[in-house]
Amino acid sequence: MKKLITVLVVVAMLTTMLGGCSSKPATSSEDLEIGVLIYKYDDTYISTVRQALEAEADGHANATLLMNDSQNDQSKQNDQIDILIEKNVDALIVNIVDIGAAKTVIDKAKAADIPVVFFNREPDAEVIKTYDKARFVGTKPEEAGIIQGEMMAEVWNEGKYDRNNDEVMQYVMLKGDADNPEAIARTEYSVKTLNEKGVKTEELGLQVANWDNDKANQAMEAWMAKDGDKIEFVIANNDGMASGAISALQNAGYNKGDADKYIPVFGVDATDEAKNLIEKGEMTGTVKQDGEGMAKAVFALALNAANKKEFIEGTDYKYDESDIAVRIPYQAYK
Amino acid sequence: MVKDKTKLYDKLLNYALPIILGIMILGVIIIEPSFVSIKNFTNILSQASTRAILAMGVAGLIVLQGTDLSAGRILGLSAIVSASLLQDINYAARMYPNLEQLPLIVPFLIAIGIGVFFTLINGFGVAKLKLHAFIITLGTQLIAYGAALIYIDRPPLGAQPIAGLDERYTNLVKGAFKIGNIEIPYLIIYAAIIAVIMYFVWNKTKLGKNMFAIGGNPEAAAVSGVNLTKNIMYVYLIAGILYGIAGFLEAARIGSATSITGQNYELDAIAACVVGGVSFSGGVGTIPGVLIGSIILQFINYGLNFIQVNPYLQIIVKGLIIIVAVSIDVRKYIEKK
Repeated sequence: MKKLITVLVVVAMLTTMLGGCSSKPATSSEDLEIGVLIYKYDDTYISTVRQALEAEADGHANATLLMNDSQNDQSKQNDQIDILIEKNVDALIVNIVDIGAAKTVIDKAKAADIPVVFFNREPDAEVIKTYDKARFVGTKPEEAGIIQGEMMAEVWNEGKYDRNNDEVMQYVMLKGDADNPEAIARTEYSVKTLNEKGVKTEELGLQVANWDNDKANQAMEAWMAKDGDKIEFVIANNDGMASGAISALQNAGYNKGDADKYIPVFGVDATDEAKNLIEKGEMTGTVKQDGEGMAKAVFALALNAANKKEFIEGTDYKYDESDIAVRIPYQAYK
Repeated sequence: MVKDKTKLYDKLLNYALPIILGIMILGVIIIEPSFVSIKNFTNILSQASTRAILAMGVAGLIVLQGTDLSAGRILGLSAIVSASLLQDINYAARMYPNLEQLPLIVPFLIAIGIGVFFTLINGFGVAKLKLHAFIITLGTQLIAYGAALIYIDRPPLGAQPIAGLDERYTNLVKGAFKIGNIEIPYLIIYAAIIAVIMYFVWNKTKLGKNMFAIGGNPEAAAVSGVNLTKNIMYVYLIAGILYGIAGFLEAARIGSATSITGQNYELDAIAACVVGGVSFSGGVGTIPGVLIGSIILQFINYGLNFIQVNPYLQIIVKGLIIIVAVSIDVRKYIEKK
């Protein structure tokens, strides 16, 4: 019995090894395979992009997407890329986990001569430029902050929300992530835009809440306990954190429909939950990331690349000043 | 006849792990014949390497009836520090802009030092303070994570991934021997060397014998003259060395290190141990078992991805495999009693 099992395993391993010498059948040009790596399947915004991407591919019978969930782990994503390269895909669509690892990802793709379209999380342009078959589709990270700042300046200038009448906006900031470029740019530019529009600001608190509803809620509870009568604006890097903050405000008796007890809250993403909160008058504004537009652009570029054409050939997309990035605009939603 | 049947049952139990792995490999090949390739084979082994090194460290602690929740974060901290000391001198956003090119051995030893520092605290907590390993390692997990955040988030750059690694470093880790058309990644060799050393330590040294004695029955071991504190500290020391090495390798393997690096790796390592037959009741486990456990888990990741199983379903399958493997393990343990 022991022998039989050993033989079985050895045979399985040997077939695995020896079979490697046989060459793979070449895929015909009508039958394209595109490997897709999503940084984290259960991220709210990214999952709308993912579903739009899958819908987009369903419309192209000759292209199949091989979907992968990297579970917020770059080491896992690297492993998945190895698998896709071994499967000989025609193009890769990469929503990278750790932008610092872009060099490693590009080196892998370059060695296998497979084109790559990065999207959403933006690697350094210099790194992308080391491979002529790599492109980026995304938003301008500062744009969401700028639009948020513009909306806030407008609301501030209504004059209703300066609770202590010192003509300075006292705000708290919910930051998504310590080292994520989107989080850094949104945090910086929302306030910068306010200042440029002539609004004086004072930061009462900043918390890195990992884009997370619950963590933002805890931070907001603490702030309300400490500075509940001073906070005039709540700025969040995304809607998930904004909604967490709103439920803390409601516990403290604010934002329940009474116009006198209202602290304006701003987010980014325009999730369904945020749209609903805005409609009910419990949230003030958010910034819409066009997930479908992003998915369309990503798919169009990857499909061209898989067909061995220039990425933007035959499309309406244009590169920005970097010559390797396509930008999808943000929109205000209030 | 009845005797034969029980014999067959015993054999099946004893070789359950290789059988499970064999069946899974065959299953994947049947669904996707193109899986049969040398590259897939070496990919799986090299991906399992750093995880196996970590798991071999954790395994000793489980044999001592303990566990280690801090392994992943310790690996993360060593990875961050190694990467920060080995950024390419021409890379613009260096953490230490004025640092000269260091010999690779210096960050390597520092990484090991970090690993040992934390595991000795763990060992001290278990051996001297009589804390359960779960508690003390939960504490050091948080301490290592906090330390990593403080280290990574500071001027002039603020928190950002530590990338742009020195080529000497990445080549050392990601390079490969070429034999004809076959590439054998160095990582597999490193893991194999460490496995041989660990096999020797576990099976041929006094420390190894004492470790199993303490894990099986601490009171009996103490009565028969085994120095519990000293031996427990040594096992933790070895774990620290392995975590440090794994961290040093992992940063270069990924190509960058961040505050997330190493998150939840301890759970994969613990899973690899229990799947590989290391018993949570203590005193039972083998190095080949841990290796097979690591490979099985990596095979699940790789194989299920290769045949395009729904990502969420993959997580469920992983959970099921852990339950099945450990229920078989428990069976074996009951029989021995």
